[in-house]
Amino acid sequence: MDEREVRLRQSRRRLFLKTVIGTGIGLSLVSAFYVGASLRPREEVTPEKEPLKPGDILVYAQGGGEPQPIRLEELKPNDPFVLAYPMDPRTRVVKSGEAKNTVLVARFDPEELSPETAQHAVEGVVAYSAVCTHLGCIVSQWVADKKAALCPCHGGEYDLKDGAKVLAGPPPRPVPQLPLRVEDGVLVAAGEFLGPVGVQASASACCRHV
Amino acid sequence: MYRWLDERLDLKGLYHKVLRKAFPVHHSFFLGEITLFAFIVLVLTGIFLTLNFEPSIREVKLPDGRTVPAAYASVLYIDSLPFGAVIRSLHHWSANVMIAAAFLHMLRILLSGAYKKPRELNYLVGLALLGLAVVTAFTGYALPYDNYAVTATRIGYGIANSIPWVGTTLAQVMFGGEFPGSEKSIPRLFSLHVLWLPLGLMALIGLHLAIMIKQKHTQPRYAERVAPGKILGVPMYPQQMVMMVILFALYVGIMTIIAGAFLAHPVEAFGPPTPQTPQVKPDWYFLWLYGLLQIIPSSWEFRLFGATIGPEFIGGVVVPGVLGLVAVLLPFVDTRKDKMRYMELPSEHPVRTSVVLALLVFFLMASLAGYKIDFQQQGSILGENAVLWTLVLGGPLLTFLVSYVLMRVFYGKAREGEAL
Repeated sequence: MDEREVRLRQSRRRLFLKTVIGTGIGLSLVSAFYVGASLRPREEVTPEKEPLKPGDILVYAQGGGEPQPIRLEELKPNDPFVLAYPMDPRTRVVKSGEAKNTVLVARFDPEELSPETAQHAVEGVVAYSAVCTHLGCIVSQWVADKKAALCPCHGGEYDLKDGAKVLAGPPPRPVPQLPLRVEDGVLVAAGEFLGPVGVQASASACCRHV
Repeated sequence: MYRWLDERLDLKGLYHKVLRKAFPVHHSFFLGEITLFAFIVLVLTGIFLTLNFEPSIREVKLPDGRTVPAAYASVLYIDSLPFGAVIRSLHHWSANVMIAAAFLHMLRILLSGAYKKPRELNYLVGLALLGLAVVTAFTGYALPYDNYAVTATRIGYGIANSIPWVGTTLAQVMFGGEFPGSEKSIPRLFSLHVLWLPLGLMALIGLHLAIMIKQKHTQPRYAERVAPGKILGVPMYPQQMVMMVILFALYVGIMTIIAGAFLAHPVEAFGPPTPQTPQVKPDWYFLWLYGLLQIIPSSWEFRLFGATIGPEFIGGVVVPGVLGLVAVLLPFVDTRKDKMRYMELPSEHPVRTSVVLALLVFFLMASLAGYKIDFQQQGSILGENAVLWTLVLGGPLLTFLVSYVLMRVFYGKAREGEAL
């Protein structure tokens, strides 16, 4: 290292310039974060994306055209479950824009249900969130011999008669139940889901479902 | 014409500098080229697809009266164009070939020890390319917006979402909000898939090739016998160029026949997204992850600093992350002092070769676990978790032992100082 370089290294002007450039780069990076934060889009809640509310009417998820409310007598005990969306009772908007609103509805003999499950059921009809707690697929297949619901993505099985207890596969917890009541022969949500819907990301408190 | 250009651009200099580069003649050296050709075909077919694709999920009416997302409708439209379905298939199959060829290329590097000094950097660039290629393939998966693709992508969203602390933010940035549901998802994935990731790939491919030309290929072992200390090979122009053109033509020809005969991802059959989840299986390069996710029990969950470390995170992020980390660290652990000139023979490195074989068996067994549901439905013993775990863990271990013992018996002891 020659003398000139040594002098340069000790020079205060050099230090000052380095500090200024460093601070400039640092501040630009910080401000880039502010812009970058908008990469996470704002959530816009349109009517069909609103979360399920107590009082919503359950309508069949399949088949386009007019929304068809699910009538109690259309469900037979031990038949495969049906998928449903909530519909706002006043505006008649089906909230199908939000996958987390998907509900599965099945009917059993009332005495087959576990006592806890029966509390929120109506005449043997139970409803659960259809969003698999494993990786968020829609639980859509019926296992006839176990009377369970199967998520076809990774084989998670939920016992619909007993609080959607996980029978097999990787789901970390049951899908939350939806309390039901019947109004004018039509199934209506009597409350909110009894637990968080879908994949439980990181933080928020986790909860084995009650 | 040549004179005119040469006077202005000094083509002669280019010829002497780059086009005389010696390419060693060895069949395993074509794997990297095939990867490049697949990428070129992907770009070319991709241009055709972007020109006809509509990245949106607004509802549109089909001629037959169905209301479907616009992206889905535009892919139906592409399929209806002359050769449209073939070009889309070619795009899909080429993506598979690109990842397969890149993986085999990496295996060649691993088995011949070509990641060692002075090529550590280019090895890392190669790893980044493989990772980027897989991510690019994944972001393209959702674009047709059919029922199958949406379900498969939803699983990816779930995995990203399961990362502790930052998962939700990360997933929402990558997928443009919650997937499925957010109408910003398809535009976001589209711009990543057709613009930013390919630009990244191109930049890294350029870097990969530039470093390769600067550092020169590793030489096959026979070069040491034929002309020790010299660089052996055919020049890039004209000999290697002829081979490359023939190989490229062969690649395009064979892949077009395959694409014409086997339509990839039949969106018409899958239909637009519905709440009915189809039985999805990911493409083969994700099958091992998919298999791991199926055999990791839900009880593998614990809490750490306010976050939940769940099975999805362990199977979908930690396992591939650890494998990636080991790959990144490898050239800094398995080192040599002198600059490497000749490929190492796999037989001289029983441990390393056996580990690579064991890794392959691990991938195969984990992929086998991806068929767990099918095995269960057939009542096969392979549907049992314990059996699958034995295969996934025992298979690689057994492979390692057998391969190591066999190699020691047949090739004797590793030479001193080259234990790995």
